[in-house]
Amino acid sequence: MKVSFYHLASVEARYQGKTALMVDELALLAGQLNVVTGLNGSGKSTLLGVLAFLMQPTQGVMKFFGKRVRWERTQLRELRRSVTLVHQSPFLFRGSVASNVSYGAKARGISGSALQERVRKSLEVVGLSGFEARNANRLSGGEARRVALARALACDPEVILLDEPLAYVDELSTRIIETLLVALVDRGVLVVVSSHDPTLGLRLNGRTIRLRQGRLVPDSEPQESYAVKSPESDVFATL
Amino acid sequence: MGSLTQSVVTAFSLIFSADREVWAAVWTSVNTAAWSTVIASLFGLPIGMTIGLSDFPLKRLAVILLNSLMAMPTVVLGLLVFGLLSRQGMLGGFGLLFTPKAIIVGQSLLATPIIANYSLSSVRAADARILPTALTLGASPMQSFAQLTNEIRFGMMAAVIAGFGRVISEVGVAMMLGGNIRWYTRTMTTAIALETSKGEFAFGLALGIVLMLISFSINVGLNLMQEEQQP
Repeated sequence: MKVSFYHLASVEARYQGKTALMVDELALLAGQLNVVTGLNGSGKSTLLGVLAFLMQPTQGVMKFFGKRVRWERTQLRELRRSVTLVHQSPFLFRGSVASNVSYGAKARGISGSALQERVRKSLEVVGLSGFEARNANRLSGGEARRVALARALACDPEVILLDEPLAYVDELSTRIIETLLVALVDRGVLVVVSSHDPTLGLRLNGRTIRLRQGRLVPDSEPQESYAVKSPESDVFATL
Repeated sequence: MGSLTQSVVTAFSLIFSADREVWAAVWTSVNTAAWSTVIASLFGLPIGMTIGLSDFPLKRLAVILLNSLMAMPTVVLGLLVFGLLSRQGMLGGFGLLFTPKAIIVGQSLLATPIIANYSLSSVRAADARILPTALTLGASPMQSFAQLTNEIRFGMMAAVIAGFGRVISEVGVAMMLGGNIRWYTRTMTTAIALETSKGEFAFGLALGIVLMLISFSINVGLNLMQEEQQP
């Protein structure tokens, strides 16, 4: 039986005074690939922020490894060390690729040759071997995304959260990232990916969690339409 | 125009002949300005960063106050500190008035809001993803804060330079609290004011040129450092 990493019950998160997320119940298990889909503003990033322990819900109970999350400073630091979030447009710190990739591992007390080895392996996994000395702020968008992913992998987290990892990346980067996600799941890592692509979950043999206006959509309900309105639609008619 | 050229020539000859009085004023200026900048940075940088990073009910008021303090006339500030340091003042017992230390106290108070404001602007202009990125990589709040400081270090340096530029070029505080005592509290700016009023234009101009050289050197140095380290 798979271990339950997260359990959310009646969790509500508000953003700028509005309810951005309202989850009645959600369990996320070890070694599971979860793809959170939904339109813009459906609450995907908010859910990832809550799962990354960066955004405190306004109400509800959240459990991590069976323990209730109390959102206290000392507990949060420990919890955040189990989870890594890769943002949609990741921020790379000033300096070399190696200094970026080693950041999280260093914060966990890893140093010396063990740290170097982690950096090397993480870069190898994302197809960027030999990039250690490159300036992190002079990479292409796809390379920067992969460095951010390598930086997350170097932390060796139990949970990895990725906000739109496949948006605006080339075919090669897409293939590398998708292969990597599947490999992580095989290693027992809980992977949660947000995406606009409703077919991603199916393609990667994962679970699709649909969000609409901050709420989970039951599997029985049909997919939302992503089609752009035609010029004849009522929006244009009002102009 | 001829007299101006003559004054410039005299100024350079004073500088290159290592005129003791010129260099005494230069030393007092640089010494007091450097200490004032260090002290003001110790207070100003954390104040600016704290206001920039935190939310509290009177934040808007604090920002307005900081902005207003930037426009504080140096003579008024000198007057207030004079009241504190004079024999009858609260701090009169320390005997600081008309010493370089009195100038440092006044100039520190003058530079603190400037440095705080500049650092506040740097924090506001910083990429909003820095702190969450560091936190989600497992950094402690202190480590995240250190990373943010590292990312905006040029803004912080600019804050310190602005503070230094303000105090090294001011007259009011140095004149009121230092007393323009020859070989002791006479700074470049107070000497310029005194010598010019005495009709010693060349001497005043020599000090003015040194003052400009110091300011320009610091700015050029900062720009070179930024160019070297920028991606």
